[in-house]
Amino acid sequence: MVKAGLSVPQALGMTFTAYAGSAQLAVLPLLAVGAPLWVLFFTAVLVNLRFVVYSMTVRDVFAPQTAPRRLGLGYLIGDIVLVKFLAFRHNEPQSPHHLRYFVTGATFNWLVWQVASVTGILAADSIPLDWGLELAGTLALLALVVPACAQWPPLAGVATAALLSVVTFHWPMKLGLLAAVAGGVAVALLFERRAA
Amino acid sequence: MSQTAYLWLGIALLALSTVLTRSGMLLVGERLRLPVRFTAALRYAPACALTAIIVPDLMFASGQLQLQLDNFRLMAGIVAVGVFAASRSTIGTIAGGMIAFWVLRAWFI
Repeated sequence: MVKAGLSVPQALGMTFTAYAGSAQLAVLPLLAVGAPLWVLFFTAVLVNLRFVVYSMTVRDVFAPQTAPRRLGLGYLIGDIVLVKFLAFRHNEPQSPHHLRYFVTGATFNWLVWQVASVTGILAADSIPLDWGLELAGTLALLALVVPACAQWPPLAGVATAALLSVVTFHWPMKLGLLAAVAGGVAVALLFERRAA
Repeated sequence: MSQTAYLWLGIALLALSTVLTRSGMLLVGERLRLPVRFTAALRYAPACALTAIIVPDLMFASGQLQLQLDNFRLMAGIVAVGVFAASRSTIGTIAGGMIAFWVLRAWFI
């Protein structure tokens, strides 16, 4: 994060408010190249979308809690914690300690994650820049896009967007990006209709 | 907008996405229904937007299109796609691409 141009307070702010490894990884290269904020927001939501499904699975456990508490509980949801919790609930369906199990596990997970993250932020200066690590961010985005291209419509859309992004590279104010997205989506929808 | 303000806004939006996706369903009862065409378009938008960021980032250097073999970033990207196709692993993709980048750079510079 510090390598992407964030100050230490900004990196700390990000790790504590977002608490989302994959979303942070996806957003950092966008911040580094100065991508429009709407792109950044959509990317973050896309990467975080699995949490919508996660939260649906634990809704009944959290339902009796007050709204502020549900907000906090939602924040603590993480991949590993949720898998562990669902297994616990499956094995001990009658246990009165479902909520306590979740909160204990999730808090521990949060602590470990944040300690590691803060260490990384503070140690960033000892990693030399000429390793070209900013490329790693772009490659991480690549790993998000490639699996999305498993069918013809998204593949056609992505190919269109790739072509348009090169053609419109010199357009001002990142308008080329908007054109590439609009063109890509339009082509993807066309392909989808033809397939249907 | 200053760079500092831009970064803080980006961080705030990231935080907002965390709140919306994790706690949104816990706070509101019914799932909001959006028009079908809108959600269909939304399905493709993120991949297209990311592509439109990745491709110029790999293919352009100092404002010029660089499609030659000595554009190590582009070569690393191609290797990374290959690694992903073979392994389905995000970490492997990043590692494979970075190693390709370092090896190419060490050899040819």
